Amino acid sequence: MTLHPAVLALLASSLTVSAMVLYAGWYGMAVRAKWDINSGSEVQVGLERRTYLVSTILGYALVFQLLSLFLFIYTADDLHKLFTGAMCAAGTLNVNGFGYPVLILKVVNFILAGVWLIINHVDTRGYDYPLIRVKYALLGLLAPLVLLETLLMFGFFSGLRPDVITSCCGSLFSSDRPGIAGDLASLPYTIVRPVFFASIAATTVSGLLFYLKGRGAYLFSAVSGTTFLVASASLVSFICLYYYELPTHHCPFCILQGEYGHAGYALYASLLAGAVSGAGVGALAPFRDRASLKAVISGVQRRLAVVAVVMYLLFTALVSYRMLVSSFRLGGD
Amino acid sequence: MGSPVNRHRNILDFALSSLIRRKTKNISLFLVYTAVVFALASLIFFVHALKREASLILKGAPDMVVQKMVAGRQDLVPASFAGKIGAIRGVSVVTPRLWGYYYDPAFGSNYTVMASGDGTVPKDGVVIGSGVARDQRVRPGDLMAFRTYNNEPLLLTVKRVMPYESELVASDLVLMSNRDFKTMFDMPDGYATDLAVSVANPDETGTVAAKIAGQFPGSRPIMKSEILRTYENIFDWRGGMMVVMLGAAVLSFIIFAWDKATGLSAEERKEIGILKSIGWETADVLYLKFWEGAAISLSAFLTGVALAYVHVFFFSAALFGHALKGWSVLYPDFRLVPAIDAYQLAVLFFLSVLPYTAATIFPAWLAATADPDEAMRS
Amino acid sequence: MIELTNVTKSFNSGRPNQFTAVRDVSLVIEPGRVTVLKGPSGSGKTTLLSLIGCMARPSSGRIRLRGVRAPFLPDGAEGPGFDVSGLPERFLTSIRRETFGFIFQQFNLVKGITVIENVMLPAYPTGEGRTSARDRVLGLLDMFGIARHAASRVEHLSGGELQRTAIARALVNNPAAIIADEPTAHLDSALSIEFMDIVGRLKSEGKTVIIASHDPLVYGSGLADRVVEMRDGLVTDTGDTE
Repeated sequence: MTLHPAVLALLASSLTVSAMVLYAGWYGMAVRAKWDINSGSEVQVGLERRTYLVSTILGYALVFQLLSLFLFIYTADDLHKLFTGAMCAAGTLNVNGFGYPVLILKVVNFILAGVWLIINHVDTRGYDYPLIRVKYALLGLLAPLVLLETLLMFGFFSGLRPDVITSCCGSLFSSDRPGIAGDLASLPYTIVRPVFFASIAATTVSGLLFYLKGRGAYLFSAVSGTTFLVASASLVSFICLYYYELPTHHCPFCILQGEYGHAGYALYASLLAGAVSGAGVGALAPFRDRASLKAVISGVQRRLAVVAVVMYLLFTALVSYRMLVSSFRLGGD
Repeated sequence: MGSPVNRHRNILDFALSSLIRRKTKNISLFLVYTAVVFALASLIFFVHALKREASLILKGAPDMVVQKMVAGRQDLVPASFAGKIGAIRGVSVVTPRLWGYYYDPAFGSNYTVMASGDGTVPKDGVVIGSGVARDQRVRPGDLMAFRTYNNEPLLLTVKRVMPYESELVASDLVLMSNRDFKTMFDMPDGYATDLAVSVANPDETGTVAAKIAGQFPGSRPIMKSEILRTYENIFDWRGGMMVVMLGAAVLSFIIFAWDKATGLSAEERKEIGILKSIGWETADVLYLKFWEGAAISLSAFLTGVALAYVHVFFFSAALFGHALKGWSVLYPDFRLVPAIDAYQLAVLFFLSVLPYTAATIFPAWLAATADPDEAMRS
Repeated sequence: MIELTNVTKSFNSGRPNQFTAVRDVSLVIEPGRVTVLKGPSGSGKTTLLSLIGCMARPSSGRIRLRGVRAPFLPDGAEGPGFDVSGLPERFLTSIRRETFGFIFQQFNLVKGITVIENVMLPAYPTGEGRTSARDRVLGLLDMFGIARHAASRVEHLSGGELQRTAIARALVNNPAAIIADEPTAHLDSALSIEFMDIVGRLKSEGKTVIIASHDPLVYGSGLADRVVEMRDGLVTDTGDTE
């Protein structure tokens, strides 16, 4: 295992976040069992105090998760020099079977934690903690996932033995390699490009409808989630080509590097923000009829919908600009 | 109802004033925090700068070096290989290199002696690296005494001392003419120490190396990328070792921070009780604690980083440079080029601010959830 | 304005040192009147004050507030009033901040900061802009004649000046009610009378005042519309004049 300081930092922070979230989950169980808002007993007051601890912990955990997501990718990128055949993060992640699962789990955990914080925010606006049980149920889902992520990350880093031959992103993401990476890259742009723009349009329209009419929260949320996946796939399939100006370079990580102006950060940040906000709209929808939330919840949902649409449109604007100014043109365009 | 921005501004204001009100406690925390950041940052900057130097230097190195192995040990390469290797597709230039090590008993140091194949150094002259010049206290025009392989003295005049900028690469280098080299070392004609090979397309280096190894049994081609990788690994490993050792320091720091955070004086507890009794809710006190922590973290982080920057780039990491550079009599004396980036700062953040913040969450919560009507009873 | 029904408050329940400070108290505090809680120490006056002032939740029983506007409740809730006993701390505190101003026995001012900062503290979490808060505070300090001490640390003030600072702080968010716990305990007669004058001024402005005191200068003063007697956590005389 490499003792690169960044690796140590990532492992230490992953352990810390796991410990924090597990602790929070543990107390969440006690809360679910004994909660009674109408009692003024000391037990109840103690439980209400505990919820402050849990939400504070999760707030910090979310920030750490987001930072460590980017640090993880950047470290994988930095480590590529140690592995023959690896040209960027994609190669490092492919060294052993843990790399990509860790990345996917990190993204999933980030989105779940974001949704948790949205639910928590709405819960605090209701005068009787209306969503307390929901919150802790979600936490019960999130905690083991975070723990799993830490275990996988340990597995990944301890399995990194330098000089192991791996495939660089060129062969990993080239069309003729089997596997999901290859499949994404080989999707013909004549299909993916219109699907991408169509899903952005669908998101905008359903978002607008929801904003104006207050109905169709689930639809919007589903469309937003689909757009996240479509946009990510599009990034690999054809968008990144405009940044690299090469028809065969399909790697999603190289755009984070300095030679491309770190453009990747803005793109991924906007996609993640869109994903969390869109998911939040759907997550809140089942609770619209709770008495204490009636006044609050639709306002929050509307704001989230606006954020989601704006973020996806920002992403679209950035990549469209790039597609227009780049001297690269997709085959015969 | 006012705006959340104002609320935070007010709370931040109070946080700063309460930090100042508890000078002793906060200054000791700040100093320890800064020391931890300083140690970690010095380490990270130093390792990164060394790696960067190494890779910059290796840029000028040949794409591949071909050695000949006999019974697992390096042997002289027949110069005739050069022509045959040159004929391989993809190879652009092959240069036989003559070099070796010379041990000077008077000064107890090892020099790398190299024949300048292109005739730049005249017979009886020598061009030396600045480390050698320092070691023997010689200047251009002085004589240097060498002993040949059969203990005959060989006097050479110093023609030039290599500039300071070449320290890292050529500190211990002694360049002489081919003739003098052969006199020194009894190197038979038609042989070289190794062959420097340039490849037209760098991506093909691996293929060319494989061809050479196939065509010339007993040869060992070493690629530049392999050297780079090995250096990266060594520096990472050494850096990581030190981080692990510093881990003990970070851990003590966390315990110290926890202790400071939980050990609220009676005065501080009373103050929080008062705040809660006059209308601050738990979340407000939590924000107060957050801003206090952020203020301390930010100032300690910036100070630690600034001090580390000066330490590494102006004083060449005097405090622990030796552990990382390795042991030697002849140290290259070089100033590292300042090169820090957001990535290093992010790693630093994760190793210092993150653990501190995590350690203070619980004590901050404990303080913030104090009962307000206790204040009524004091 | 505030209605308590069968309110009980116990501490350390289930443990050997369980202690009930307030037992089954039912009481109505009328708006715009001065109510005095009278009784020896340990009678539960302080606990009752903290329950009335929404600083603590009752172990059992209900507390209703009338005539108080709360932004999170539907319009029209002020009339019949609403139950605060089950409210989470966040909401209870936001109501308390806007509705009640507290004056403590020991004044409880923060040492090391100035008078003006002390008085502004309750306004910090409301997110009010600093300039408007500052102007109001200076007006209050002026009203109580301590404007010249605005920038002094509280350690440098006399007893009477501290008292007036504490009162100014209680008034900073323009509350409907003032709650004072043994306000004259550390004051001489002259300052105690001064305090009661201020109470009179507040009453004439329409504020509700609730004071806990065993000082005859307070409960015997003509200003007290009602005196409630307490002993061992029970109300022995509700002082109802009707």
